[in-house]
Amino acid sequence: MHIEMASLWQYVLAGVVSGAIYALIAAGFVLIYQVTGIINFAQGEFAMIGAMTAASLNAAGLPVIASAAIAVVVAAAVGGLCHVLAIRPARKASGVTLIFITLGLSVAIRGAALFVWGTNPYSLPAFSSGNAITIFGGVLPPQAAWVLLADAIVFAALYVFFRYTYVGTAVRAAVASPAIASTFGIPLRTFAFWSFVAAAAIGGLGGVVVTPITSATYDMGLTLGLAGFVAAVLGGLDSLPGALVGGFVLGIVEKVSGGVLSTGWEQGVGFLILVLVLVLRPQGLLGKASRRA
Amino acid sequence: MSATTLDVCNVTVRFGGVVAVDNVSFTARAGEVLGVMGPNGAGKTTLFNVISGVQAPTSGFVTLGGERLTGRSVAAVAARRVTRTFQTPVMFWGLDVRESLAVALGAREFGGTYPPRPDRALIAAGLGIPARVRADNLLRERASALLERMGLAHLADRATESLSFGEERLLEMARALAVEPVMLLLDEPLSGLNPDEADEVLTSIRAARTAGIGVLLVEHAVGELLSVADRVVVLDYGKTIAEGRGAEIAVNPVVIDAYIGDELS
Repeated sequence: MHIEMASLWQYVLAGVVSGAIYALIAAGFVLIYQVTGIINFAQGEFAMIGAMTAASLNAAGLPVIASAAIAVVVAAAVGGLCHVLAIRPARKASGVTLIFITLGLSVAIRGAALFVWGTNPYSLPAFSSGNAITIFGGVLPPQAAWVLLADAIVFAALYVFFRYTYVGTAVRAAVASPAIASTFGIPLRTFAFWSFVAAAAIGGLGGVVVTPITSATYDMGLTLGLAGFVAAVLGGLDSLPGALVGGFVLGIVEKVSGGVLSTGWEQGVGFLILVLVLVLRPQGLLGKASRRA
Repeated sequence: MSATTLDVCNVTVRFGGVVAVDNVSFTARAGEVLGVMGPNGAGKTTLFNVISGVQAPTSGFVTLGGERLTGRSVAAVAARRVTRTFQTPVMFWGLDVRESLAVALGAREFGGTYPPRPDRALIAAGLGIPARVRADNLLRERASALLERMGLAHLADRATESLSFGEERLLEMARALAVEPVMLLLDEPLSGLNPDEADEVLTSIRAARTAGIGVLLVEHAVGELLSVADRVVVLDYGKTIAEGRGAEIAVNPVVIDAYIGDELS
């Protein structure tokens, strides 16, 4: 089997773009897991809500940037509603029950999306016109710049929030020792709500920026959610930098193996990575070996 | 504020057939150190759990300044600035020492006695609103000042994971004082400390008393406890067997018989 360096490089570039989206979805998994201990399998649906809302608004005549902004807000609102309607009422339930609730949420949101939007794919024009971006002979669509910009903004904002703001520090304290944090009056329940809102907004943004490249369908959340989950586990469920690294590694490995073997292998390789990580390094690439209660 | 008292009224706690606390009553006053003595299993920690809202009493109740604490959540009791430490200090891992104190300082303003509007605070922080940034910086400066006062300035930038047991104790104490408590519940704050560290803790306890804070002190080191406590309550098998000034307690035959034994003789 002979693979040219040029096409290998092209696969890597394509992997960087899908990895950037996986990283955003994974960041949502990590945020919610850190604050609430829940693995939210509805995470991919937030991306779908963002993508479908943006596409619909744009089709209705709104400019693409305005559609994108409103779509992120709508996704955030859906995330907040999920917490208020489904998670908060069951907060005394066991972790496994809560995870199943999120699976139910994902089925419900996808069902609602099927009802609203049907099965046809929706498209969204690129945020800016222009020529394809050429990097060392490899080619990326202009929209890829927006995808990477979204990643840069989100991860920089999360870093500043957790590292430099009081509220971010309080969230870290609540994550480290919830029982002690509550004796200082730190409002854990409020943090749980906002973790869902933030995760949904970030996922929604991921869905919005990728739609000009991939187009949007009511069931896109399933694949995106699973890939985001694999990326989060790969990087470490308790590590936001891990989400970033895990997303890019997964994206690149998927696209390269899809290109070298066949596209049917893309997802299979993702799950192979999941199994390998869980067996060899369950805390993920950048995660801590254990959490303190 | 100086008139605030914490009243423990006829508190009983039963775990199945075991009576951990048996009809205990006492009053702790602001600006006073009340020692709580008793052998292991005498019910001291259970009593702290009742006061701080972790454990509901089987009967009886606790009031602060006449307001009932029993029946309120841990957070609601904490919001009334009844603060406690634990036998084993629990740190906020992942935070450095200054951040740990800033969190405690800010928590009061953020979710405690002030109307909690963390959503606004979160949005302001997320958007980098200048007033919020200034407030955050101010908190860090106050944390540094408090570390300075407690003689812990050299630890400010250390990760909490890297602290020794004694340093954890001192930070836990500073963190509890950061919320400007009305009542401070200290559960064996001297255990595991070397003599220098124990002296530092005793100094902060005296400083807290001078500042008008009421201190409830559970401590196994009887000599140290008697040296700092204004009054002492002695528990045995969940019952109050003696109450009085330190000097009286030290010579009380019932106490010596039950607990101190030949430790003071």
